[in-house]
Amino acid sequence: MNQKVEFEVEEEEEERSRIPISERPEWADVRPLPQDDGPNPVVPIAYSDEFSETMDFFRAVYLADERSARALELTQEAIFLNSGNYTVWQFRRLILEALSVDLREELEFIDQIAKNNTKNYQIWHHRRWVAEKLGSNVASNELQFTGEIFSQDAKNYHAWSHRQWVLQTLGGWDDELAYCDELLQNDIFNNSAWNQRYFVVTKSPRLGGLEVTRDSEVAYAIKAILTKPENESPWRYLRGLYKNDVNSIANDPRVASVCVDVLTNEKECAHALNMVLDLLCNHYQPSIELKNAIDALSDNSDLELAKKVCSVLQLVDPMRANYWEWRKTTVPARD
Amino acid sequence: MEEEDPAANKINRLTLAYCVISGLDILHALDRVDKESVINWVLSLQAHPKNEGTLENGQFYGFHGSRSSQFQSNDSGASTPNGSHLASTYCALAILKSVGYDLSRIDAELLLKSMKNLQQPNGCFMPIHTGGETDLRFVFCAAAICSMFKNWSGMDWEKAKEYIISCQSYDGGFGLIPGSESHGGATYCAVASLKLMGFIDEDALSKNARCHCINVPLLLEWGLQKQAVDGGSQGRSNKPTDTCYAFWIEGVLRILRADKFINKKALRESLLTCQSKYCGFSKFPRLLPDIYHSYYGFCAFSLLKEPALNSLSVELGLTDVAAIGLQSFGL
Repeated sequence: MNQKVEFEVEEEEEERSRIPISERPEWADVRPLPQDDGPNPVVPIAYSDEFSETMDFFRAVYLADERSARALELTQEAIFLNSGNYTVWQFRRLILEALSVDLREELEFIDQIAKNNTKNYQIWHHRRWVAEKLGSNVASNELQFTGEIFSQDAKNYHAWSHRQWVLQTLGGWDDELAYCDELLQNDIFNNSAWNQRYFVVTKSPRLGGLEVTRDSEVAYAIKAILTKPENESPWRYLRGLYKNDVNSIANDPRVASVCVDVLTNEKECAHALNMVLDLLCNHYQPSIELKNAIDALSDNSDLELAKKVCSVLQLVDPMRANYWEWRKTTVPARD
Repeated sequence: MEEEDPAANKINRLTLAYCVISGLDILHALDRVDKESVINWVLSLQAHPKNEGTLENGQFYGFHGSRSSQFQSNDSGASTPNGSHLASTYCALAILKSVGYDLSRIDAELLLKSMKNLQQPNGCFMPIHTGGETDLRFVFCAAAICSMFKNWSGMDWEKAKEYIISCQSYDGGFGLIPGSESHGGATYCAVASLKLMGFIDEDALSKNARCHCINVPLLLEWGLQKQAVDGGSQGRSNKPTDTCYAFWIEGVLRILRADKFINKKALRESLLTCQSKYCGFSKFPRLLPDIYHSYYGFCAFSLLKEPALNSLSVELGLTDVAAIGLQSFGL
């Protein structure tokens, strides 16, 4: 209780301690420019006095193209009030260049505001601009920064985009596959980590490309499937390793084998049945084990195997029953 | 739009206005809107070059998102700072069409010619000419703008198509940029753009359909798989469902003529759990509603053919009535 009261008192003190810009001597020579909302504005916004004043002064320095230290400070205040304003960010970049500011300090500034704004496009864009100027020296810093974001939100889309950009532009690939593994050990359902894994095995200059990494990655995916067969991610990843070419998938006996294993043990796995259906529609010749696994799930012994799989899918995946019914109609005729 | 200071969204005032106006349009409630005032306000956000007929090098002459990026020209005669934004331009034109404004009254040539300045060598678009993040959202805005003007001189659509294709992920969905995780919003932008550009056939699911540029069967399965156990739509695999993805994902499937495969009853029930007692929709059940999720909730219900709602032109993000321009104004 006491702590809460203390915190509230602190906040009030902070508000009282802000000196309006119009009362600051260093701004005495500047005439603030008010916003002209025009007649009958739609969705009018109720601005705070602090916000209005800050933007009025910003407008003044922006139109005067004043690229000074005080203007830089003002952009910081404007950003704290609204971190989504393109114009303010763009002008800040012009000032940073004009004043040749040490951009490592700027990175620290971004660290500060990014903490509570991890989904703001403008902040991430600004960070990329700064990192690009600083070059490959900051690669590990950027990887660490995104890693910190992921420790709070392992699927933050902006952070993943930034991380991919860092790897491609500044480097730092060496430990990335291991990092993906670490995230997947924490949460094997993390689709962002699976996507990153695909990014690494296809794009990393260190690993030799998909042709070289495919074999071990298939084993990795299969292990994940056997751990949690209901997890969509490794099934899609597995197909992706073969670039969704069903012929190539069919030629790898491990794929049909994992389907048999899953269907024998889990029985109602839609992803496994889906994989089997795609194989059969591509004229894959099923093993006895696979036929038996399907037969065990189906009452209807008259249907041919692919259509039988569709019927089972309608039962185990009723959300998509209409789709599996349609798939029945597109099963190619038997040779 | 999670409980933010409304001033923080003011750069997106046009976006808010678009959600409101188009939302009212879906609800057959545009008679409550002072259309003339809306038109005047939107037009006042348009960027114009200092000298008519001369395009300042590299600038985009669209619409600003709000007054905060729009500046009155100063007396020194220096060029007016121009912060017009591609997404704001899309919203502005969508609003104007929704209230029945005749877009031929706008100088489309100027807008479109300058819009080409925003297209990158790889086909993608940036949002403002001074630079910004480039991704599929802005490809969609550009395509929708061209479509609304029925004039494709504003973009190199072959290049745009190549960029879109490069965003299709190994799992069939589309990421915002190449290599990114497939995402409902990004996938909508990709598929809607391709549809607007004419690269997706009416019957996209048939074997003979001419949309070989992307992997349609894989996209179809990815989209359908996004309907989760609670009946709602996920934006990405293994993430919670969220009201707005009902529109993005359902919209994609509608464009592919595959919405017949959605479990509509389950989707409807899931959406209703996000309907607030104050009306409108929230992101998740039991949260307060917001304009964004309310708008996309109405869009989703329109696609579900909820009675009393206007039908949607899915790929444009407007009602059919607005898209075709059936309203009259000022007659």
